[in-house]
Amino acid sequence: MELQLGLALPTPNMVKGFDLNNHGLDQLKEMGGLEAWNKAAGCFADKDCVKSKRSFEQAFGNFTEECRTKPLLLWSGQPNEEEDHKDQKKATFSTTDENDAEEDDQVVGWPPIKTWRNKIFQQQQQPRVGRAENNRRVAENENGRSIYVKVKMEGVAITRKIDIKLYQSYQSLTNSLITMFAKDKKCDEDDYILTYQDKEGDWLIAGDIPWQ
Amino acid sequence: MEPSELKRSKDSPNSDESTRRSSFPDEVLERVLSLLKSHRDRSSVSLVCKDWYNAERWSRTHVFIGNCYSVSPEIVARRFPKIRSVTLKGKPRFSDFNLVPENWGADIHAWLVVFAAKYPFLEELRLKRMAISDESLEFLAVSFPNFKALSLLSCDGFSTNGLAAIATHCKNLTELDIQENGIDDKGGSWLSCFPESFTSLEVLNFANLSSDINFDALERLVGRCKSMRVLKLNRSVSLEQLQRLLVNAPQLAELGTGSFSEELTFRQYVELESALSNCKNMHTLSGLWDAKGIYLPALYPVCTHLTFLNLSYAALRSDELAKLLAHCPRLKRLWVLDTVEDKGLEAVGLNCPLLEELRVFPADPFDEEIIHGVTEAGFVAVSFGCPRLHYVLYFCRQMTNAAVATIVQNCPDFTHFRLCIMNPGQPDYITNEPMDEAFGAVVKTCTKLQRLSVSGRLTDLTFEYIGRYAKNLETLSVAFAGSSDWGMQCVMGGCSKLRKLEIRDCPFGNAALLSGLEKYESMRSLWMSACNVTMNGCRLLAREMPRLNVEVMKEDGSDDSQADKVYVYRSIAGPRRDAPPSVLTL
Repeated sequence: MELQLGLALPTPNMVKGFDLNNHGLDQLKEMGGLEAWNKAAGCFADKDCVKSKRSFEQAFGNFTEECRTKPLLLWSGQPNEEEDHKDQKKATFSTTDENDAEEDDQVVGWPPIKTWRNKIFQQQQQPRVGRAENNRRVAENENGRSIYVKVKMEGVAITRKIDIKLYQSYQSLTNSLITMFAKDKKCDEDDYILTYQDKEGDWLIAGDIPWQ
Repeated sequence: MEPSELKRSKDSPNSDESTRRSSFPDEVLERVLSLLKSHRDRSSVSLVCKDWYNAERWSRTHVFIGNCYSVSPEIVARRFPKIRSVTLKGKPRFSDFNLVPENWGADIHAWLVVFAAKYPFLEELRLKRMAISDESLEFLAVSFPNFKALSLLSCDGFSTNGLAAIATHCKNLTELDIQENGIDDKGGSWLSCFPESFTSLEVLNFANLSSDINFDALERLVGRCKSMRVLKLNRSVSLEQLQRLLVNAPQLAELGTGSFSEELTFRQYVELESALSNCKNMHTLSGLWDAKGIYLPALYPVCTHLTFLNLSYAALRSDELAKLLAHCPRLKRLWVLDTVEDKGLEAVGLNCPLLEELRVFPADPFDEEIIHGVTEAGFVAVSFGCPRLHYVLYFCRQMTNAAVATIVQNCPDFTHFRLCIMNPGQPDYITNEPMDEAFGAVVKTCTKLQRLSVSGRLTDLTFEYIGRYAKNLETLSVAFAGSSDWGMQCVMGGCSKLRKLEIRDCPFGNAALLSGLEKYESMRSLWMSACNVTMNGCRLLAREMPRLNVEVMKEDGSDDSQADKVYVYRSIAGPRRDAPPSVLTL
């Protein structure tokens, strides 16, 4: 199951690390991610149309305070942590599922690191399991049983990964996410909407389909 | 009389007249010119007059060819009869990042065949981004009895079998330098092919080969090559083995350690430290794969006279780096991974006042989750402490215009400024403005700037600045930048010394391409990929400028009218005949 969930929070502050500014939007069109985001924007039925179309920009550009319901964005990765250490065909700003091979939207040859150096990074990652400098490695223990999904909240630079299997309902998932991101951002539960992107790339509001 | 003079007087029936005309005898001229090493100086000399052209061509022993397709081996051999050393570069630089198709070309073999006939006494061959097969390496090994030095950088197409041929046959080899290549590593037995009688090796670099080598063979080799000054080991060599090598080679000037991470007993650690402290000539240190912080103090005795420290394989933390750098006051060049973070770079600024070159590589370039790495703060800290900094390569995830302005104010002598903000098109993260003013500051302040790589969100204003101020710029790399043709037009119009221009994913089209019509013949090459150039634009360029090779690489499934990847270069050899089907020469 490949899920892409979206939670976006517009904030007046600059989003660190994910500044896909408006200028970059044109270039992003090839990347496929833009379609996904635009669809997401279109799906927020109960919001002002203009604002929801801007939700992509809200995700990665300037924000206003006006939009009251703020979508949270998630997208999924595969459970296998090894796939994080890809060759350079992976996009650096992955608004899409990083393992979705159908979308040929990855930026080849960027950042400009020589191929052999990438190989060295990949070779080096294996012995470094013990170092656990960030929370990527933790997931390795639970391979096979878990379904990992990347969660991004707008306004927060860090993307987190969660195991969806641990949750029984949308509500518990949302609650947990709020708590998780509350460390980085002051959040009020009501302000957030959980959205996700399905296999076809459509953005849907979580909750319509039964949890199972 | 020297054989060269005999030959020359046979070749030029007017030699009597020319000696009367010239101000001093040709023998003197040739003697003087033989002292000239720089190929640019030699090119200038050859343009003075026919006598000087001839004297220069007879006295040249090393030829540098920046683009293997700009000239043919026959033309080179005809002009320069006495070459002993060749440096050749092949593929466009973006091939390092997988932007050039596999079978693109730049095969060395045709050159070797001509060299075998015309330069049987060839001693040195240095190749960069060339395709070289095992057969070619074998041919090289047996065709040149005096062969001494082989250096392969970013090449591909060969395996360790080819290295075995070199080791087996090249009796006078002094240098084997195998760096960063796409090599098919079939095992380490090649190293055992050096005969027991072989003692001449001075430079051995196999750091980027992954498989295990026979350590006993290596130990014996190092032991009997008393003139060895450069030894760069691969990761399979352990700390304990390193110590055994160093004991027999205290004369080493450059060392690439192998894996710096296995468990050592206290006694082994002391022995290692002692072996290192005996290396009084060591000025360059690299390797340090998986270096564990606790063993780094073994390096301290060597650090005091180190001028180049390459830590780009060692994921050190800021405190580990700081402790190490406290012992490296003479450092001029430093390469690190961004695991050292800004705090590590502060330590650079505090401890290394003589620093001239800094390269910071990203440890996790493709993982957008990482928010560590270095920021503008680290770069600024270095600039305050290292006023002599003139070469920087910096990968980061955020930057500001103000920071760059401060940096170049502190270090106005930049000759090479390569800044890579890893998220394409990212603006100043504080002001949200484009990074135009940053690069504007660079080109306005750093008048000696020769090489520039730009990144971040950039409008045409950046290129206006570059065209107006970067008068010494020779190499420019651009990605995901610019607003219109005007940007590139500014560069083509303003940068009179531009030699290499590489552009990807920018909104520059035919008008931009054609604005450089007059300029391309004075440049080595132009690369444009994923821009707005069309086939018609390329055809027009090819038609107007017959001395340029205009090559288009087509992608599968793309629009026929778009020119996906364009490579333009001057050539006196005409269009190449070895292009694969995906490369169209117009």
